Amino acid sequence: MIGERSVRRLALAAALVAAVVWLFPYAWMLLTSFKTPQELLRAPTAMPSTWRLSAYAEVFRSLPVARYVGLTTVMALSIAALQIAIALPAAYALGKLDFRLRGAAFGLLLSALLIPAELRFVPTFTLFSALGLVNTLPALVLPFAVSAFGTFLLRQALLAVPNSLIEAARLDGASELYIVYRVLPPILAPSLMAFFLVSFVHHWNDYFWPLVMTVDDQVRTLPLGIALLREQGSGVRWHIIMAGSTLLSLPALALFAFSQKYLMRGLGSGVG
Amino acid sequence: MKPTRPSQPWWLLSPMLAALGVFFVYPLLSALRTSFYEWDLLTPPRFIGLGNYRAIFGSGELFGSLGTTLLVSVIVVAGSLLLGLGLALAVNRPGRLAALARSAVFSAYVVSWVSVGLLFLWIFDADAGVVNQLLAAVGAGKVKWLTSTAVAPLTVALIVLWKVTGYAMIVFLAGLAGLPPEMQEAAALDGAGPLARLRYVTLPMLRPTAAFVATTSLIASFQLFDVVRLLTQGGPVRSTTVLVYAIYEQLFRDLRVGRASALVVVFFLVLSALTWLKLRAFRSQEPA
Amino acid sequence: MQRRAFLLSSAALSGGVAGCAENEAPPGRVVVPFWFTYGGRNRATLSTLVTRFNRSQNDIWVRAVFQGDYFEGLAKLRTALAAGAAPPLSHVVGEVVPYLAEAGVLEPLDDYPGARTLPLLPALGQPGSFRGGAQRPLVALPFNRSTPIAYVNQRLFDAQSGSPDTWEGLRAVARALTQPNRFGFGCPIDWWYWAALVGQAGGRVVEPDGRISLGDDAGVRALALWQELVADGTMKQPPGRDYNAWEQLSQDFLAGRVAMIWSSTAFVRYLEETADFPVRALPLPRGVRGSVPTGGTHFVWLKAAPRELKRAAWSFVRFLLRPDSAAFWSSETGYLPVTTEAAQLLRVSGFYERHPNYQVALEQLAVAEPWPWSTSLFRVQREIVQPCLEAAVLEKLEPGRALAEARRLAEESLP
Repeated sequence: MIGERSVRRLALAAALVAAVVWLFPYAWMLLTSFKTPQELLRAPTAMPSTWRLSAYAEVFRSLPVARYVGLTTVMALSIAALQIAIALPAAYALGKLDFRLRGAAFGLLLSALLIPAELRFVPTFTLFSALGLVNTLPALVLPFAVSAFGTFLLRQALLAVPNSLIEAARLDGASELYIVYRVLPPILAPSLMAFFLVSFVHHWNDYFWPLVMTVDDQVRTLPLGIALLREQGSGVRWHIIMAGSTLLSLPALALFAFSQKYLMRGLGSGVG
Repeated sequence: MKPTRPSQPWWLLSPMLAALGVFFVYPLLSALRTSFYEWDLLTPPRFIGLGNYRAIFGSGELFGSLGTTLLVSVIVVAGSLLLGLGLALAVNRPGRLAALARSAVFSAYVVSWVSVGLLFLWIFDADAGVVNQLLAAVGAGKVKWLTSTAVAPLTVALIVLWKVTGYAMIVFLAGLAGLPPEMQEAAALDGAGPLARLRYVTLPMLRPTAAFVATTSLIASFQLFDVVRLLTQGGPVRSTTVLVYAIYEQLFRDLRVGRASALVVVFFLVLSALTWLKLRAFRSQEPA
Repeated sequence: MQRRAFLLSSAALSGGVAGCAENEAPPGRVVVPFWFTYGGRNRATLSTLVTRFNRSQNDIWVRAVFQGDYFEGLAKLRTALAAGAAPPLSHVVGEVVPYLAEAGVLEPLDDYPGARTLPLLPALGQPGSFRGGAQRPLVALPFNRSTPIAYVNQRLFDAQSGSPDTWEGLRAVARALTQPNRFGFGCPIDWWYWAALVGQAGGRVVEPDGRISLGDDAGVRALALWQELVADGTMKQPPGRDYNAWEQLSQDFLAGRVAMIWSSTAFVRYLEETADFPVRALPLPRGVRGSVPTGGTHFVWLKAAPRELKRAAWSFVRFLLRPDSAAFWSSETGYLPVTTEAAQLLRVSGFYERHPNYQVALEQLAVAEPWPWSTSLFRVQREIVQPCLEAAVLEKLEPGRALAEARRLAEESLP
């Protein structure tokens, strides 16, 4: 019979293996970025014999990294902000107000989950083509104005807010809009934070939508730029590609390190 | 609570409804309409009735990509359930190693598909990639991870699993955190060992969580695109062309908007069926 | 070492920032976006020429935008056209020019200054590039043009006595050069090389009457040759798709895993400079006749762009076609010199004497086979024939049946 202690040892072993399996690829990515092309072709040398930054230099030389980062950040911020601005009143209406057809409105929001970006891109592309909006920032931002996930999250959090609070604000003469945008946000701060982080990171990293909505580098985002490092032409570029991949991962990982608890809570609470 | 004015809720909902209308409902209806036409965006569209549907069903293209998607899905769902639960159980304890493992596994979920894709493209490189180099060093043969029609879809599934297991893990962790400890304690007092407790107490209570993870993974695996685009571009010989990639190719490589729209309609129906499955699984697993 | 790395990276960073500044057009100039799809050395050479042009005059500023590889770039161009966001100038593979022309998106060039008197090499300009294209309006000018050629590891090659100038010779040399851990021959399973073999077997991919015959019998023999070589164990067929496969094969060649490869003349500089053995370029073999397709891309102007931009782009291309620019492009990259003057310049300056490998493709132009002016060729090639060839070799399908199936699909797909 397996005892408590062996279970504990098994669990620790599993945790160790998991840590290795999930950390090794990053480590390898990082180490590769410091090697020379010749080293890469030979049998795997774990450590680079000399630590060279030339791969990173090449990335900065071939891509306008700062511009891509700036643009990607602006885009992700805009999306998150827009989503929150639209989700707050919607969550309030769906969570706090009683009205006929509330179920129907809620159902409509649910159905948005059935229509992911991968389904919408063909008609949205032709729509934006007709409007001349392809390859512009609005094309990258507007289609994500509604976040079903975020709206549900806020609604869930709102259900826990006592009605008396809102009624008191109403008695004080606050308009509904004032309540939605000035009174509730401080109370909903943790959920708003989680919503913001999840949305920001997701859209910052997004590859698919910018890929289909842009045609050149005017509003190219960083993931697209880094993916283009795979360009053909001359020889071994893995060290450069890995340098790019590292640079691309840094913001997400930094944000993750900083806000781990929020992210995990925000996503974990997606249950039910 | 009563609204201050009867129309109040609808005003509050109007931005959401407008956005849903323009960016969700309209595209779906538009795709339905376009699926009956032949159109390359450069010349005027031509009505062809069910021609596109006949083409995608008849040419085996639809079934091919559905089959590939299903293959990858099965691996990802089964894998994320097993690994997610297993890891959650392993790291659901205090201590630095557990915390490190939690962060490491979840961090993969947070980084971009581009980073992960490029990273594994290099790791699984047939000649100079570290996996094959290690295999060669111990005398085993080099495996064609991404260039064999049989192995490539499995490799893709494995990479997807690496990235999404973190999400399954934290959902299971949240599920475990929600379990009343009294039941475990009672079982322990009754003399049940850790394995028995797992089997008879923990797992049954985690069924709703597992159903959630399974169906979420299923739906997510049907939406795969980035990893295929970066690693195999659907090849070799279409063995990794999943549904979304097939739609992408129809539109962007072949400029066949009608056919892409037909695939979109079918995809929507498949997704609806899967979501209906999710709701059913969820409801039927409601704890008594 | 650390200090050097630090200096290098700060230089690059500031260069990156300055590079951004470099990319900003000085005020008052017409900005011409030019979408291109080269990587590596070719991209650097293009950059040099673009900078030279931008510095040589004060009215126009060319902004070169990288769009990925040929196929990605083409997809983006077509969708940009559909979305009304196309640039005035880009370059596309030859086989797609007829399709774009018939779709009405290409600007006719006959009336542009000097269009009728450009000293282009006959085999490379639109008249020579397309059977049946000469009498149509001029819509394309050659840019980076190439033919397939063979590269051999000279040391290994000299150790045997065969010569791959016929199909039998090819088989023999491949066998002679194959060792337990080395293949004698390698070739990407690519439409381009297959087209060469079809020509060498005496057939044509598209008949003069427009029928997509895929070479009929000759096509089968061409495919069968590959299958035989693979079955023999003398041919390595690289993994990957499109240019991934060509790149992979180059790596195999350089690492000594393959002794002789078929590739493009565009790789000559890269291979010569990177190999640690002498590299020799050879023409492709003759079957019943010699035949090679041409490759690379042509400049095209997009009709939808504003007139001013198109004219400015024309000036840029005239600059690139000057003998010194065209010769520079050719000598730096290995692509063919596209004008007679540039070819002459390279000859006279002794370049070909110093670099005989660069001349192989030029001389092979004598047996270059033009593509037909067919609007569906590109689609058929990419969607039907290429997968068919890959599948036939990978899965060892019966060549006659595989090609018959491809032929049937091709006919069905015609409007």
